[in-house]
Amino acid sequence: MSPTPEWADPRPARVGFDEWLELFERVPDDLIERYHYYGDSEAWSKYLFPPQTFAIYGARHLKRLKFDNSLAALRMWGFVQNETERLFRARQTGRRVIATMGDLGAVPVIVNSFPGCVAFYPDCIWWTPFVMESRVLFDAAAELGIGDATCFSRAALGAFAKHSYFPDPDLVIASTGASCDDYSGVEQLAEQFVGEMMWVEMPMRCGMGPMGPMRHMLVREYERVVERMVNLTGHQVTDDELRQGVRAANRVRKLVRRLRELASRHGALAALEMMVVEFGNLHHYSDITEWPNVLDHLLATAEARVAAGTPVVSGDALRVVWVTPPADPLLLTYVEDAGARVVGTEYVINQALEVIDESKPGLEAIAESFMAASLIGTSRQRAESVIRQARERQAEGVIISGILGGSHCAMETRLISDIVKQELDLPVLEFDVAPPSNEIGRQLQTRIDAFLEVLRSRR
Amino acid sequence: MKDLLTPRERFGLLVIDEPQDRVPIFPLVTAHAARVAGIPVREYYTDGAAMARSQLVAQETYGIDFISFFSEVGLVAEALGSQYVYPEDDLPLLTRPKWTDLTKVDDRLVDPVRDGRLRVYLDAVTYAYEARGDTVPILAYVPAPFTTAQQLVDQEAFLLGLLTEPERVKELLAYATRSITRFCRAIIGAGGLPILVDPLASGSVISAEHYREFALPSEAEVIRYLHRYDLDVVLHICGDTRATIAMMAETGADLLSIDRIEMADAVAGAGERCRVIGNYDTSAILLSDPKSIEREVAEMTTAGKKCPKGFVAATGCEVPVDTPTDNVRAFVRAARQAGFNPDYGLRRIV
Repeated sequence: MSPTPEWADPRPARVGFDEWLELFERVPDDLIERYHYYGDSEAWSKYLFPPQTFAIYGARHLKRLKFDNSLAALRMWGFVQNETERLFRARQTGRRVIATMGDLGAVPVIVNSFPGCVAFYPDCIWWTPFVMESRVLFDAAAELGIGDATCFSRAALGAFAKHSYFPDPDLVIASTGASCDDYSGVEQLAEQFVGEMMWVEMPMRCGMGPMGPMRHMLVREYERVVERMVNLTGHQVTDDELRQGVRAANRVRKLVRRLRELASRHGALAALEMMVVEFGNLHHYSDITEWPNVLDHLLATAEARVAAGTPVVSGDALRVVWVTPPADPLLLTYVEDAGARVVGTEYVINQALEVIDESKPGLEAIAESFMAASLIGTSRQRAESVIRQARERQAEGVIISGILGGSHCAMETRLISDIVKQELDLPVLEFDVAPPSNEIGRQLQTRIDAFLEVLRSRR
Repeated sequence: MKDLLTPRERFGLLVIDEPQDRVPIFPLVTAHAARVAGIPVREYYTDGAAMARSQLVAQETYGIDFISFFSEVGLVAEALGSQYVYPEDDLPLLTRPKWTDLTKVDDRLVDPVRDGRLRVYLDAVTYAYEARGDTVPILAYVPAPFTTAQQLVDQEAFLLGLLTEPERVKELLAYATRSITRFCRAIIGAGGLPILVDPLASGSVISAEHYREFALPSEAEVIRYLHRYDLDVVLHICGDTRATIAMMAETGADLLSIDRIEMADAVAGAGERCRVIGNYDTSAILLSDPKSIEREVAEMTTAGKKCPKGFVAATGCEVPVDTPTDNVRAFVRAARQAGFNPDYGLRRIV
């Protein structure tokens, strides 16, 4: 049954900005009024708005992307694009806003277990310069000492300096250790703009075997997080509440796992929407209550498509695995337009995709799931994840979109590429994502086109 | 003093009720931009690229917080069939309204790409958006139904009709509203934020009763349409709005741009519901000297900062075409200084 009987999605397609303007004109007022974040009913908490709304407020890239034409996708985009305002409203309505940085997926599970607390990742601001086609945040970061040779995540530093992309957090929990060194630098410089920064050590995963001492170290770190949160909120969190937090995170993770399956096997959702979905596992776009409802809606849409045999991306498209998230979302639109589909991803957030073991005590289970993290192990481990997905989904090629300075190993792209070529005999395309622009450079277009032509010729 | 925020970041905070690094500054530089850019006024309002370039130059020259496209209130009426002449160095003049009396309306709807000069605005918005849309809000003034209606019908017949043929007037307003919302949609598609401008609904032209009966409902309808897109809507009514300021807030507008009304009265009438944009005297910015302007704008800004929902330091109406640039610079200088927020961005110690 459709979750929205008053609306019938058009035949699945990826559509441009102008087409969504036409579609939105047909969306009934009742639907716009229906969806609210934070379970609120205030006018400001509505979020079912089209890309045009956010383009007018500066998100220029939206004019160039292609979007899924379902209501569920519209809802997802509206929800995600609305996050800055949502965080400010969180503060205005008395919630505590906690910035979590660097670990990509674990600490928010703890934070969200505390009533009235909202976790978010400033890290995700790295998309903002691309979405706005703007250097503003990079320039702000450069003034503070981090220039163009550093990962795009330096945009987060610019955002801290400006105090206008999220409210000044009540607490910043910054993870460091076996992770991206560039981002550790960003975190260090951000400290000057925050009231209090708590540092959490992330362990290195030394092999694929038992993680005993490392996991215990992480549990101790998480105990410190709990203690700090108790001090901040005055709320003594119980193990039951932590388990509840784990269950809430798992609800999202299970939904996303199913969506990944439907997208990779059946083309039920396109790569752009799926990237947004996967990254929602980090902090649920600052609303752990509403984000699962958005995912439910997407899942109902995807399942209906599979049942009807109407995918949004053709089953004949060339199957590729994508390694490292493309900071520029236009790359995904371009590759799909050129006749490929993404059947697997290694977006450095494996720890957020893992379903957490609900039978174990909360912190222990969270720590265990974190040990799957992409960035705390070796390049070979990442490559093995790519190989596994490529085999499972019969990928025909692998795309690795590197970020200058944005990896914990300067040779990572080459290492993963070599291992994949060696073990799978698949063509691999490697490139570094260019700085924000209103188009993909000609040279890169040609390289992508040629790569896909090679894949086609191998069929 | 270097700004911490871009105009877009500043406006973004204003509309979600958050403090900014300083008050946004918005002397209503419209056709005056042609002077700043050194082109004839006619070129400004007949060529979208020229209009955009002029606004970009003016925005950069003065350091103001918005780019705003406007030439005159007949824009939609012209697209619907009223006739205008274009003097070489002055604004368009209405020569023949579409109808001489309140006859029955037709079923015409504007085509924003083909009719009149609507395309000029769309081209200008597109151009400016690509050039500076990441850092500066791009605004496009759209004449409201009540004002547009007075450009479609002989004005005397229209005003008489408010008393003798109110239903015909309402039909005409509905007719204008349909085309106006269509034009708004095209602006939205181009990346611009429509501003509703209704100068002929001012207390200088009609009574408060007529405002409530005729102008308010049609303004509200356009605003409802824009709220479907979650846009923050500015309603600009210049002239005397003392008797209607509270009603202006009833339209649902998020920001009210005001002219001849005491700031304290505007804040009392609408300040709890709307951000206030205003309201330096445009005669003064044309004729006064920079020193006096600085003093008066500082006073205005200091008073405006008390508006509970937020304030934008602006002129009450358009900056006259021939305003000396030094006067506009003085306005901006004073508003920056008086509007500075020393508490912005201070570390929040928990």
